[in-house]
Order: sequence, then structure tokens, then C-alpha cells
Amino acid sequence: MAPRAELVHWAFAAGFLLLGLILLAEVIVGAEVFAMRRWRVYLWPSIAFGIGVALWPVSVFFTNSTIHMLAHASWAEVAMLAGAVQLALVRGKLTSRWWTLSLSLTLLVSAAAFLVHEQNPWLFSRAAFLHHAIGWTLLVAAVFPLGQVLQPRRAAWSAGFALTWVVLAVMLFCDRDVAPIFGHLSDLAAPG
Amino acid sequence: MRRLPLIGILALAFPGAAAAHATLIGISPPTQARLEVPPPAVVLRFDQSVTTTGRAIEVFSAAGRRVSGPSEAGDGGRVVRVPLSGLGRGEAYTVRWRATSSDGHTSSGVYTFGIGVTPPPPTEAYGSTGPTWTDDAARWAFFVALALLVGTMGLRLLVLREPLPPRLSNRLFGLAAAGGIVTLNVGIAAFVMRAADALQVPFADLLYGDLSPIATKTRFGAAFVAMTLGYAAVTALVLLAWILDRPRLLWPAFVLGLGFATGLSLSGHQGVEPNATFLTGLADWLHLVAAMLWVGGLVALATCVWPLAPTLRRTAFLGFSRIATVLVAVLVVAGTYLSISRLPATSELWETSYGHALLAKIAIVCVALGWGAMHHFFVRPRLERDDAPRGLRRSLIGESTVAILVLLAAAVLVNARPPAVEPTGGARVASTLPR
Repeated sequence: MAPRAELVHWAFAAGFLLLGLILLAEVIVGAEVFAMRRWRVYLWPSIAFGIGVALWPVSVFFTNSTIHMLAHASWAEVAMLAGAVQLALVRGKLTSRWWTLSLSLTLLVSAAAFLVHEQNPWLFSRAAFLHHAIGWTLLVAAVFPLGQVLQPRRAAWSAGFALTWVVLAVMLFCDRDVAPIFGHLSDLAAPG
Repeated sequence: MRRLPLIGILALAFPGAAAAHATLIGISPPTQARLEVPPPAVVLRFDQSVTTTGRAIEVFSAAGRRVSGPSEAGDGGRVVRVPLSGLGRGEAYTVRWRATSSDGHTSSGVYTFGIGVTPPPPTEAYGSTGPTWTDDAARWAFFVALALLVGTMGLRLLVLREPLPPRLSNRLFGLAAAGGIVTLNVGIAAFVMRAADALQVPFADLLYGDLSPIATKTRFGAAFVAMTLGYAAVTALVLLAWILDRPRLLWPAFVLGLGFATGLSLSGHQGVEPNATFLTGLADWLHLVAAMLWVGGLVALATCVWPLAPTLRRTAFLGFSRIATVLVAVLVVAGTYLSISRLPATSELWETSYGHALLAKIAIVCVALGWGAMHHFFVRPRLERDDAPRGLRRSLIGESTVAILVLLAAAVLVNARPPAVEPTGGARVASTLPR
């Protein structure tokens, strides 16, 4: 039996929350302290890679609309590749810091998928609001990896990147398609 | 105490369920049902209220005759019903529906049912045109990408077993991973194209089209689901093998990659031929797999080994040459067996379009085999004497190009229907189109 869509959203929200908290921990204690135990540096790239792999079943088992299948597939692909690139950087298989920009690309693709797959305006329903909010959050957040590349010692970029995932997780936990936002603004957005 | 944060996150991952997008939760008569008596109506039940028009559900016979009346909503907009009249026994019917869900998304879908007959799958519903040249192109791209994925892994595991120079190793992994990524993307594109043909809706509506009957009730859909999951796992293993410097991880990836290629056989005409047996299925799979290992290996040899590892050229060429001999033998034997089983009468080779495509493929295969034979009988002995001829890389690229053209012919043939095929006790294709 396929799990209900919101359970899947929440499972991935939990993954993003874990990702964000690990990144936040690294920002708080500093990269040197964080890397004192070697396994820690593998944590968030491994989670990103795992989230990407886990999104593939979601994309093929939730085919009740084309756009959702395509959106899930694009998230699966970019998350898997971004996780692989970060693992390769940690392992020393890739050495150029410019590879960090793959995270910007991941955020841009993810943002585009969120914005394109929402048909309705911002205040149509809570789901519509959150889809727009998530899309624009990820779009703006694409600047953080660029900042990390250009100013690697500035913690603000890393903190922004970490908080992006925490915010994304919170928004995914709030995502209910027919729930009202500031009351029902459209007759079509009636409770289910 | 240290585990508390983890427990908290796990608890957040599994809270109580809430409503999601409006989803079709009940269909009467069911998708692809074989009924004994005509149903009085088609009823769709959604998990949330939907907005519909009088033509929200339309039902057509195989000849395109509309057998449905005006649609009407009930149960607070959760149920849409359309009365039926004039249905006959021994016919298959196509249901096309369209509804705007309460969150504003317009969904649409198609499915089939039969009365006294087994209905065709949704991809062959009334109004769909069947595979076109775009499907052939997509299948070709899929073959090429898959050849790069499994062929590169095959070369790495079966021929280049020793530790490799980092640049060569990285490029081989890169080629295999690129093959995996393209395989996934082209597979998705091919599935959406086939679904677009079945749904017959404008592009904007296609984006919210319900693909689940196609994904769950057709061989093509089942192959899509299995192959997407399979090749995602294969690509992940290839990436991990590269990142962790564990070439051994390529073995499960290679085996999975070969195994999931059976989806290609099942999603083509092989799965529905009246004379299809386990043996023809096995031959089809062997034919495809041998072609992919051969083509992909050739491309990897020409684009990775030759420019990056001059010292390994001789070993790689001689090793691949030995394997290619076996692959070509499998290719020819399996291909000949399949040709005979699909075209029992020799005259069908020049009298049918399938026969023409097969002849074109055989001609290209002959060119590729001739090229390969030249490498085997003239180049190989010289390489064994350490007397490498000049321009060998160009020659390998030429053979690879011809081999890729063989895959194009194979893609056309897999989508085509052999002339001897008769309906397997079910209804004729509702679209009544030959391909």
C-alpha cells in the first residue's frame, strides 16, 4: 500500500530537519572542531545522498499527476548528485571548491520545481502559500553556497545554508493542501 | 539522553496523516475490468470535492462512438457519475475524465474496460495513436545511455581489472554515471510521452494528468517503475564505488544493470506476441544485453582508454576483442532465432514494414560486424606483435558510431509490431492503429 502523501512529506521533512541541525551544529562549533571525529564530516552529504535515493520511489509510486512525478524526480536527481559531489569533496576525489556550486544548482532546480508545480496563487490555500514560500526560499538560498565559495571563512553563509534546511523542514511539516490560511480565501479551497 | 534528538526527529517523521491533493480513490467499473454485463454508469469517487462540467467523463467505443450522457456530481462534489447507454457485448470501451480538484488542480485521466472481452491497456485506448518517431528516438537514447552504463562497467570489470590510473578510472566512472543519469531521465521522458499519447490532452492539462493507470496497469508502466528504481540504485552504486574507491561495488551494479534490462523486453512487443515463450524472452534479453555490452565497451575503449592510458591500449583492446567475439556470437544467434520466431514466412521480410525495418537493421549490423571482423582479424594480430596500426582510435570511433546506429534500428523494431501478431483472445487495440 502506498503511504499517504503527507506522511511522505513529513518523512522527508524529518530528513531535512536532521540535515539542517547537523549543518547548524557544524556552524556553531566550527568546522575544525566538528571534523575532529572524521565520521561527522560524512554525515550531511550521506543524508543528502540518501534523501536523493529515497526520493526515486516517491517519484514513481506517486503518479497521480505528471507534474508531481517530474518534480519528485528532479529533486531525487539533484539531491543524489549534490550528495555525491559533497561526499567526493570530503573524500578528496574532487578538490576544487567551485564544486560547492553544485549545491546552488540543486537549490535552483528544487526551487523551480516547487514554483512550477504550483498552479495557484500565493493565498489560494495553505498548500499554495507554502509551495510558493518554499520555492522562493530555496531560490534565495541558492546564494549561500556561492557565498561559501567566495568567502569560505564567513560563517553567515554556512549558517544561512544550514537554516535553509530547518526552515524547509518546518514548512514541509506545515504543508496541508486544503487547510486554510487566514481563513478560506477561495470557495474551491474548502476543507476536505 | 544522547539519543533524544534522534528519537524526536523520528517521531516527527511519523505523525498522524492529513489530507493531500484530491485523488481518485474509486472507479466503477474498475480499470481494465472484464465485465459480463454492461454497467449502467461510470462512477468516479475522489477523496475531496471536485468541480466538473457536463463532459467531465466521456466514454467511447473502440470505433469512437460516444456511449455516455451528461456527467453529474454528487456526495458534496466527491463523486462524479455519467450514465451509459448502447453498450454491446464483445467490445472494449475507453473512459476519459477531467475534474478540477478543490485545491484548484485540474486532473485528467484515461482507462479502459471491456464487456465480454479483455480490454486493451490505457496506452492503447481510443484516441491514442501508438508509438511515433519520438518514441523511437526516446528508446534509442535510452539504449545508448544504457549501453554506456553497462558497457563501461563491463569493460572495467571484465577487461581492465587491475588498478587504473586515476584519470582513466575517473573518466570511466564518469561515463558510467552519465549513462545512468541519462537512462533515468530518458526513461521518464519516454513514459511521459507515452502517457501524453494515451491521455490526449493539451500540454497544460498533461501536467496534471493522472498517470497511475498507465504506471500500474500497463507493461510499459510496470517496466518504467521497475527500471527507474533499478537504474537509480545502479547509478547510486556507481557513484559510491567511485567516491569510496571500491570498484567491487560495481559488481552488484553491473548485475542489477543487466537484470533490469529485461524491462526493455517486457515493455516492447516481446511480452505480447502470441508465440512468446520463456525462450524468446531470454533470447530477447540476451540480444539486447550483448548489444549494449558491445556498444558501450567500444565507446569506453575509444573515449577513455585510448586518449588517457596509452600503456593500457594493447591490453584493453585484446581483452575486449576476446569478449566482443562472444558478445557478437550471442547477438547473432539470439537475433536469428528471434527473427525466425517473429517472421515465420521469409516473404514477410520484403512484404511488411516490420520486415523492411529488420532488413535495414541487418544491413547496419553487417557493416558493424565487418568492421569488427577487420579489427579482430587484421588489427588484433598486429597488436599482439606490438605493432599498433595508426588511426586505430578513429577506426574504433567509426565502429562505435555504426554500432550506435544498430541501436537505432533496434529501437524502431522494439516499438514496432511484427506482422504475424494476432489479438491474444482480448479486444483489438481500441485505437485500431497498427503500431
